[in-house]
Amino acid sequence: MAYLTQPDYVKYICSCGQLKPITNLYFCRHCLKIRCGFCICHEVDSHYCANCLENMPSSEARLKKNRCSSCFACPSCFHTLSTRATLARDPAGGDGKPPKKMYYLSCFNCRWTSRDVGIPDQPVASGGWPERTNPFTSRFNQLLEYYKAIAQQEKQEKLDKERKKFVTRGKYINLTDKTGLTGAMARNIAGLPSSESSSTVISNFVPSQASADVEELPEDYHLKEIDLKQITRMSQRTSCPELQPSLASRLSPRPRALCVKRSQRCRACDHNLTKPEYNPGSVKFKIELLAFYHVPEVKIISYETIKPGGTSALLLKLSNPTAHEMTIRMLQPEDVPDTEEEHKTIEKTLEKSLSLEKDVSWNACFPRRPPPSRAGSVGLPAVSLTLAQRDDAAEYDDEPPGDNDDIILWRKSNKLALRLKLTTDPEARVGTDAYFSFAIQYSYRNTVPPSATVVQHSDHTLYTTVILDLGKVCE
Amino acid sequence: MSQNIKILPGATVCEDCTLEGDITIGGGTVIHPRVTIIAEGGPIIIAEYCIIEEYATIIHKKAEKAETQETPPKPLFIGAHNVFEVACKLESSFGHIGESNVFECRSFVGVDVKIGSGCVIGAACQLTVPQTLADNTVIWGSEHHNREALEKQPTQLLQLDFLSKVMPNYHRLRKPNMHKRLPSRPSQDTAK
Repeated sequence: MAYLTQPDYVKYICSCGQLKPITNLYFCRHCLKIRCGFCICHEVDSHYCANCLENMPSSEARLKKNRCSSCFACPSCFHTLSTRATLARDPAGGDGKPPKKMYYLSCFNCRWTSRDVGIPDQPVASGGWPERTNPFTSRFNQLLEYYKAIAQQEKQEKLDKERKKFVTRGKYINLTDKTGLTGAMARNIAGLPSSESSSTVISNFVPSQASADVEELPEDYHLKEIDLKQITRMSQRTSCPELQPSLASRLSPRPRALCVKRSQRCRACDHNLTKPEYNPGSVKFKIELLAFYHVPEVKIISYETIKPGGTSALLLKLSNPTAHEMTIRMLQPEDVPDTEEEHKTIEKTLEKSLSLEKDVSWNACFPRRPPPSRAGSVGLPAVSLTLAQRDDAAEYDDEPPGDNDDIILWRKSNKLALRLKLTTDPEARVGTDAYFSFAIQYSYRNTVPPSATVVQHSDHTLYTTVILDLGKVCE
Repeated sequence: MSQNIKILPGATVCEDCTLEGDITIGGGTVIHPRVTIIAEGGPIIIAEYCIIEEYATIIHKKAEKAETQETPPKPLFIGAHNVFEVACKLESSFGHIGESNVFECRSFVGVDVKIGSGCVIGAACQLTVPQTLADNTVIWGSEHHNREALEKQPTQLLQLDFLSKVMPNYHRLRKPNMHKRLPSRPSQDTAK
């Protein structure tokens, strides 16, 4: 909960150099590296409406312009509109008839109703809401057709160029010789648009012309007092780009935009980091490699005020989220060995020597060095600490008294509190942010076998760097 | 402070609430438990068919300077069909609050705010600057967007009926202590 409501006081350095809280990080079990949203591939898994939870394939979503056909969003505050029922009496005065149920749309957030803009109540609960037609529909379709034709033509040209590479040898009988089919006929049978029709679309297209004739502004444009309640806000106009209503009375309910479920993939090894369940109602994951479940978590318990040239105590809590015992050592960030970099270059040269013709430019991530400015250093104990594995039942057990000493404040199942000493630089300026950083060396047992033949678990020693935000340097 | 609480017949007032000063509660009004109504700057008159939910606070503040305090003190009149949702706070002492307003959860209306009729003060909206809300103003969101509704907010008569039936089953109520005849309930036929 603290991660949701509070600022991020503890940040980890991702393998790409971004600073993120542990809840925003992923952990690739195959590369054994921390990844963040900036250095992984995001893929759209499925489209769904977050209101009615209707699932639809991407082709259908594209056809519906990525909007739900049954749900509406409020044009005033973009909240979902709900359908409300009222009993309407016949204005004609039919006494014998029972009152009919009529429906209108209403927003529970800003209390906008479809009655506000004069949309008549509907006799059915869903559907049948009048849509405002776009005045530029024909032009829009024309443009769409034109660009589709251009795309088609370019594709065809590319295909032709490719075909020219492989010159047909006279030995073989081609399709036309064998069956009397021509290319155009084959395309027709396959249901592809013929190349002639696309060329007519392109030749018939009329580009738009800019004209100097602009409608004059009304006389009282600068004199009239503006009633802000009658005029729409910028966000309200841009939410409906085809109409862009300038008056509040011209707002109309918008079909609700669809949401997507995404799966994340490591760019280096192409393994999935997260994969959500397909069902839109479910918030569970099939694959969920989050750093929160693999990397030791650091939390600040408390600290003394940071003064230039002074020393202050810092209480930290470390916890082991994995199901295996973890050995932790704390290091200065400079002492983290750079072995992984070498490994990478070897791999790269190998790949080059094999001359793999694979376009990997898209998956290159740009490593960024973290900002080195620190307000001082953290005095770190030169001992290894052992953290027990996570045990959900442990909190019901009677706790054996933990081993307390100068460094370890207390120990509780997979958690442990540390007392550290901060030394602030005498040059640290008062009022600047007090950042401290340290690295953690931790043992990690990988339960994923590297290949089907090797079943043994492998133990690794991994490093991560943590940056603590301890407020400001005080006097 | 003198205790002078007048509860008209038909009102449902829970015992577990803080009522201080000269307060009149109209018929049909439902006051939930844990409500605080303090009339220190003058009497508070609550008209018919209001709903005042849990932890709502209505204070008629005393004027800060003794000279500006009117004698006799002006009453704070709260019109009919107002809804005060959970933990809202009203300090407005403008003497008159219209009808069919909705004060949503945790909203705050300061001393110098004049409120018309059919207004909605959205959840957690804070009105502290002296201002006048025109009729049918709706304020919502953390950025205090406002707009004008076409019509007044629909009345909560069904909810009132339900509350006045259910409330006595679960709470101790204060007995009505006035025996004035009220005009017959005009809403009963429109509700059906």
